[in-house]
Amino acid sequence: MSTRTLISPAQLARPRGKALYWTVFAVVVVAFTLVFLGPLYWMASSGVKDAQEVVQTPPTLVPKSFTPGNYSRAWDVMGLSTLLFNTLFYAFGALAFQLVLDVAAAYSLSKLRPVLGKAILGMMLATLMIPATVLVVPQYLTVLDVPIVHRNLLNTPWAIWLPSVTNAFNIFLLKRFFDSVPKELLDAASMDGASPMRILWSIVLPISRPIIGVVSIFAVVGVWKDFLWPMLTLPDPSKQTLNVGIYSLSNGVPVNVLIAALTIASLPTLIVFLVFQRNIMSGLTAGGLKG
Amino acid sequence: MRSARFRRTRRASAVALVSALTLTALAACGTSASNNGSGGSEGGGSSDPAAPLDPKTKVTLTIDCMPPAAKAAELKEWKEDVAEFNKKYPNVRIEGRSTPGQCLEPPRFTAMLKAHSQPDVFYTYFTDLPQVLDNSGAADITAYVNDKTVPLLKDIDPNVLASLKHDGKLYGLPTSNYTMGLLINRKLFQQAGLDPDNPPRTWDEVRAAAKKIAGLGHGIAGYGEYSAANTGGWHFTAQMYSRGGDIVDPTGKKAAFNNDIGRQVLQSLHAMRWEDDSMGKTQLLKWGDLQKQIATDKLGMFLAAPDDIAYMVQQLGAKYENFGMGPIPGEKNTLAGGNNYMIKNGISSDKIKAAIAWLNFKNLTVGKGQFDWARTKADKLPVGVPQPNFWLGESKKTDDASRRTNATMPVENFKTFMDNPVPGKAEPPKAQEIYKVLDNVMSGVLTNKDADIDKLLSTAEAQVDQVLANQ
Amino acid sequence: MAAPSLTPSTAAHARPSPPRGTAPAPPGGRLAKSLRRNLTAHGFLIGAVVCFAVFSWYPMIREFLLAFQKTEDGRVTWVGLHNLTTVYHDPAFWQAWRNTLLFTVLALLLGFAVPFVTAIVINEFRHGQGYLRLLVYLPVMLPPVASVLLFKYLYDPGYGLLNEVFRVLHLPEQQWLQDPDLSMLSVVIASTWMNMGGAALIYLAALQGIPGELYEAAELDGAGLFRKIWHVTIPQTRLILSLMMLMQIIATMQVFVEPFLLTGGAGPEGSTTTVVYLIYQYAFNFNNYGAAAALGLLLLVVLAGFSAVYVKLSRNDNE
Repeated sequence: MSTRTLISPAQLARPRGKALYWTVFAVVVVAFTLVFLGPLYWMASSGVKDAQEVVQTPPTLVPKSFTPGNYSRAWDVMGLSTLLFNTLFYAFGALAFQLVLDVAAAYSLSKLRPVLGKAILGMMLATLMIPATVLVVPQYLTVLDVPIVHRNLLNTPWAIWLPSVTNAFNIFLLKRFFDSVPKELLDAASMDGASPMRILWSIVLPISRPIIGVVSIFAVVGVWKDFLWPMLTLPDPSKQTLNVGIYSLSNGVPVNVLIAALTIASLPTLIVFLVFQRNIMSGLTAGGLKG
Repeated sequence: MRSARFRRTRRASAVALVSALTLTALAACGTSASNNGSGGSEGGGSSDPAAPLDPKTKVTLTIDCMPPAAKAAELKEWKEDVAEFNKKYPNVRIEGRSTPGQCLEPPRFTAMLKAHSQPDVFYTYFTDLPQVLDNSGAADITAYVNDKTVPLLKDIDPNVLASLKHDGKLYGLPTSNYTMGLLINRKLFQQAGLDPDNPPRTWDEVRAAAKKIAGLGHGIAGYGEYSAANTGGWHFTAQMYSRGGDIVDPTGKKAAFNNDIGRQVLQSLHAMRWEDDSMGKTQLLKWGDLQKQIATDKLGMFLAAPDDIAYMVQQLGAKYENFGMGPIPGEKNTLAGGNNYMIKNGISSDKIKAAIAWLNFKNLTVGKGQFDWARTKADKLPVGVPQPNFWLGESKKTDDASRRTNATMPVENFKTFMDNPVPGKAEPPKAQEIYKVLDNVMSGVLTNKDADIDKLLSTAEAQVDQVLANQ
Repeated sequence: MAAPSLTPSTAAHARPSPPRGTAPAPPGGRLAKSLRRNLTAHGFLIGAVVCFAVFSWYPMIREFLLAFQKTEDGRVTWVGLHNLTTVYHDPAFWQAWRNTLLFTVLALLLGFAVPFVTAIVINEFRHGQGYLRLLVYLPVMLPPVASVLLFKYLYDPGYGLLNEVFRVLHLPEQQWLQDPDLSMLSVVIASTWMNMGGAALIYLAALQGIPGELYEAAELDGAGLFRKIWHVTIPQTRLILSLMMLMQIIATMQVFVEPFLLTGGAGPEGSTTTVVYLIYQYAFNFNNYGAAAALGLLLLVVLAGFSAVYVKLSRNDNE
């Protein structure tokens, strides 16, 4: 990694530069560790404190009491496995819908350029400027009674999956990337008689792997992070997402058990992240967004 | 060339694939939705609504607010009750739903009513009836409830039943009722040199006691109040009542708290929070938070209904000997409320009968269900708390006797509360909406040292007037 | 299974009319070809379009209608501007707008600048980049409600960690979420901690794409550190910066969980009541969908104004 950055290597090579570099480096590493791992340490350690110590003023940095029973109680009470399963089910379902429908739409808008395509894209992008919370009320009423088919989607995964397709930002990212695929490449394939589907599948998608990665992460993270919408549309406790589940729990258990529950709820994704961090990071940063 | 094979057929199928996916998605929704409401009437019960449920009737009832796993003992009792109920009615399937926290949260409840997604039998507060009726959410069960289906009907406090009636029609059956009092932590009272058997009776005494308790240090607060999630407004209302004030005037159209009583309530809270520093630093608390504080001996007193004690013992691991209770300070009026179950509008008459049979067994039979005190004691839950208690006459005698024999709590801890009954006063109309507005008044004085009390009250008054005008 | 026709809009797209007037009297073959091309193209589009139509565009229209309606006992009546005057006379109305503005400014200062500066700093290091990137991204992976509740615990003025740190550093203890002057900042800090990872990584990737020669050239011109950032780093990443700025504004307008859970939404003296929260409160606390929609409509108008300005500015910029 010897790409040239802001500060010149010559400057860094000087003794003063070296000293300064290491000082700044040490300060930043320590500060970042405290800021980003500190709260996590605080969470995990507070989870083993007893009910008294966890609300003690001033707080203790190292637990004096040790009640790991909090964790088992939190596990029993929370039903983490159901919540986690529900959330993953919704997230990956939404991903599948977005990958199929949004990729197809972006491809059509970028390469097939139908009549009214520009207008449709414009109308899609217009939705970006509207905060989701503003539309929550009419969207909620729509989900209760979907026009024309007259279905109530409440308490079904469709209430999460179908609205997730209306992700204009992902369509925009995909379209921009598809725009950059050289036209000659596609024309050549088209001359050979390849259908648009075939072109999408064997030419466009393989080059678009980075952007598909980005969009996939956005899609999954979107569902993973959402709170208000699943709270409203999945009121049945057995169908709740992790976020809503933790929220309902927050009021009914002692502070130390709640914190233990937060720790447990954070673990699965932290582990997935640490194991796959290389893929996730490179997926997020891969050329796709260099604009 | 390979690609020569892909011609029009492929193109067409690609189009079909994408569009079919959408169509299937929308069509498939049909399979998973709107299949409730019709099931169950094939059991063939009597068509007379007044007749009790025929045990041969086969129905499935969904019901919310089943105790969550966190309330292990109550959940065990619920399951036992279902099993016993099924001995008599083997064909009724009770399908409970539970939520770990507060099982009724107003915003979620509103959304549920709008969506008509409530279960067959659903839990509400007494104050929810107008909202439920606005959304035609509850069945009129007047014809179904009589001394055959609910044998102890005559012994239920008519005031309690009145809160479930509208235009003479009955829409629910009570599970519990409460009047608010002052819950105290006896341990902290003793440590602070106060007499736990004589809780403060006026708001000035509350202030003095709070100051002493806060003097113990270690982040201990003397007195605690809510200021979020509608519970702030709920307690503001209770304090207004206790000083003889009101929230809404008798016409039901105008706010009635922007006056001297309202100012007294807020000034006294402001003084305790900022002059005496006896209310703790953490504010914006809601139901559940003060319970956590008092259960860990970080709080001396707060306004509460007696049934909070059961919650604290069970979910927060508190010790019940530690609590005592006095009447609400001021003693002019006390906020009276309660909870109940309603039955979803539009479900079959057999389901309604089954629901009433279950509610009668679980909540309205002396010696059974929630009034099986011997079992409550065996399950190490507190017995001897004065409420819920909506019985009159013979039923009250039997029930009170059973409470005494099985008492696990020193009954004298509640003596002041029991000996000094304060007249109950029902909650205002549009209670939850008004409470939401009044949260701001409470959070105003509790979080801002320079709060402008007059402005807080007049702002809230304008908002409440608007809420009342909008009915 | 699938119903033959779904919505008018999909039917319209499935059978588009061929473009007219593009070429005088096109030969039949070309017309057929263009028809086929359009059919295929719309076939690819239809899935997303149906979803947009049902879950986005239709609700937008409905939002507009709701703003002028009142629903009582299931009956809908037209009430003209009644809902708009209702929300306008709400004492919380102006406060909510002021708070929204404050929140947006704070969120842009912190949520936009902090990850960018972080990325610049990390990019300079020859060691430990992987570790730092990992740290910054870690909070993004937590369930947001867990992070928010963790922050609520950290912020507690009594037993919270943050005040303990302040005590150790001999700084004055703060009331954080409980202080009307500080509550919004506290919410934004929590929100930035939770969400900055994604933006920081994207900036980092953009920074690594800047050709080193540009810096060398700037140094030859005698540029110092800040001038290099101003004249090389920012112009080179401008596209991604403006895109992220747009995303940030959109995200800011949607923020709900953080204030909802940290301060109960309204906050001390209503100091964290945003327009979006007011909408939620009208709809789900006050059961008044008309007022909620009216306020939503006002927010839309304001946002449309902003985006018009944004588009205009960025156009001028490009010229």
